[in-house]
Amino acid sequence: MANVSTFFGLQTSLRGLLAHQRSLDVTGHNVANASTVGYSRQEATLATTDALHLAAGAKIDGSGAQLGSGVMVEDYRRIRDGFLDVQFRAQNTVLGDADARARAMEGVELSIAEPGTNGVSAALTKMWSAWTTVSNNAPDNPARQVLVDSAKGVALAFKEVDTQLKSLQSQAQQEFAGLTKFDPATGQYGEVGQIANQLAAVGEAIRHSSMMGETPNDLLDQRDLLLDKLSNLGTVQTVDLGDGGLRVMFGGAGTPLVDDSKLDDKSTPGDDRVSFDPTALLSPGGKLGALKSMGEAGGAIESYRTELAAAVKTLADQVNAIHSQGPSGEDFFAFDATQGASGLTVIQTAATVQVNRDGTASGADIAREIAALRGGAADQAYQVFVARVGSESKQVQRTQANAETLLTAVDDRRLSVSGVSLDEEMTNLIRFQRGYQASARTMSTLDEMLETLINRTGRVGL
Amino acid sequence: MTTRVNSLITSRRVLNDVQVASMKLSKTQQMLSSGKQLNRVSDDPYAVGRALQLRDEMEHTQQLQKNVEDGMGWSETTDDALDSISSAVARIRDLVIQGATDTAGGSPRDRIATEVGGLIDSIKTAANVKFAGRYIFSGTDTGVEPFNVGGSDAYNAANNDGILREIGPGVTVQINVGGEQVLGDGTTGLMATLRGILTDLQNDDGAALQAKVAQLDGGMDQLNAVRAEVGATYNRLESASDRLMQFEGTTLKMLSETEDVDMGKAMIDFSIQQAALQAGLQAGSKIVQNSLLDFLR
Repeated sequence: MANVSTFFGLQTSLRGLLAHQRSLDVTGHNVANASTVGYSRQEATLATTDALHLAAGAKIDGSGAQLGSGVMVEDYRRIRDGFLDVQFRAQNTVLGDADARARAMEGVELSIAEPGTNGVSAALTKMWSAWTTVSNNAPDNPARQVLVDSAKGVALAFKEVDTQLKSLQSQAQQEFAGLTKFDPATGQYGEVGQIANQLAAVGEAIRHSSMMGETPNDLLDQRDLLLDKLSNLGTVQTVDLGDGGLRVMFGGAGTPLVDDSKLDDKSTPGDDRVSFDPTALLSPGGKLGALKSMGEAGGAIESYRTELAAAVKTLADQVNAIHSQGPSGEDFFAFDATQGASGLTVIQTAATVQVNRDGTASGADIAREIAALRGGAADQAYQVFVARVGSESKQVQRTQANAETLLTAVDDRRLSVSGVSLDEEMTNLIRFQRGYQASARTMSTLDEMLETLINRTGRVGL
Repeated sequence: MTTRVNSLITSRRVLNDVQVASMKLSKTQQMLSSGKQLNRVSDDPYAVGRALQLRDEMEHTQQLQKNVEDGMGWSETTDDALDSISSAVARIRDLVIQGATDTAGGSPRDRIATEVGGLIDSIKTAANVKFAGRYIFSGTDTGVEPFNVGGSDAYNAANNDGILREIGPGVTVQINVGGEQVLGDGTTGLMATLRGILTDLQNDDGAALQAKVAQLDGGMDQLNAVRAEVGATYNRLESASDRLMQFEGTTLKMLSETEDVDMGKAMIDFSIQQAALQAGLQAGSKIVQNSLLDFLR
């Protein structure tokens, strides 16, 4: 008969008590973090402890046996699907791009103020009518004054749109510069730099724990959350270095933004794990990509300004071609192409505006011909511009809505894996509580058994 | 694997749906309060382009109506002037016939000559009529008096060019009549004939006067032809005015269809969206509340 300690069962029950207690602790942690952003639910994985080996003769056939010795916590596991993280970040980059574009396009739309009574279109309409009025009342000074004023109104309307576009462009550039500010010398960082620094700090702690064989679940969550935030700004790719460290590639740049492998490199003094050069971001994607492509020279906003300037030039050329046939031979508009659509000015006064070729009082062939430009190439060029802004803005809004839906779908899937379900935790709570109670009952049963053994055995007849 | 649905997902979805519903609602609200379905270019880029064109057409049509009204004023003034010229010429014709008979020699012809002289001046005065401060028989040279009352018969203005009014897109009509067309340049034409008659009367030349009657008739025919032309122009302007009025109505209707909100539809949309939002909110308050906790003691 093999020897098993009298107190073996007590030890087994104790393990059961402790394991359930740990499980309850984890449940408590989950419930406490049910609303924590980026938190992944955790689980204490339980496993049986090594069985007690019973020597030969333990069983009736004389062979040995293994007696179960209870339970232990094997690991505290973070439940998360890394594949969904990759999907989420890719989609978040798309959304960051679409959001920033949609916001910029809204600004563009507001700046053109169409359809409205104060836009360029209304100003043009007023000017063409003023030319007709002048052709009807050629000798009248008031009519000519109205014409000159309405033409100045057109120039001003174009200038307002152009100025607003210009300021939208510089806003995009400033926002890009602000987000990508990276100046270790003065300690001034934009959002990218701040996230990179936090990633480096969390990365170091993670690597430290990993080397000691621990799994720093909550730190890993923090790092994932930082990467999620970063992915909104630009494309993010990560390379797992295998030792808990990470190499983070950002915005398509060749040099990693954060490289934990440099922790081992003692050749350079100080912390050189974070390196960032905004000018190396050719097509960073995300919010930065959108800001860059909207704001840069030759970017979307500039292309609107160019198109608007082309419409202005058409207007100036067409009006001038007719106006310069008057006796003075002078142009009506001056157009400074270097200033874009803001470069339009009226250079004639009510007294000098040319109304006809022959110089008679009521001759109005020039005014009539210019009035007939209404609805012509200049008006059409402007309308095409407006339509382009409208359809591109609509397109961006659609992309934004799609990206939002897709991101929500991916995030739902991610939450469905990692999110804390209170119902589930409550079920676990009952399960672990019952397990704890049962273990305790086992212990007290064993205790009663020992009571019988120790206090009652051998006291016959007493 | 069944999808784990937890309160995070549920509450996020509810929040999302409620946000979408309230966004739609606010869009409809904006439509209702502004009365426009196009508030931003991206609402419907094509329709916005169309609306801009239609607005321009509206403004253009209104301008054309002003042109037509102005043209009608010119025509009426021209016709009035031609009418008084005609009656003066008719009176002269009567006087010529009276003066041509040989019984009316000597002093009656002097009296007739005085009256004809006065009538010639009144014809010139009629031809010097102004509309809106401009001489209407001076071609485009409207600052210059076309005829010299009491002086030479020559036409003073620089030209007999037409003054045009645009009455439709690309359609113009001439609203004036050149002074020389009506009265001639002083050496030929009606005024020359009248001057000849006056000379004949002063010279007491009955035979020459008789020969002038036919010339005068020719002049009157010419005058009537011009009046007919002016009348035709007036009719054309009148029909253009009707057409423009109709066109303005159609354009306004099209513009309204493009830009304005269909109030009935918007109101129905509004109540549907409001109901959807309320349902979403109610569902949210119910779903997120329920949990296993409610049933555990």
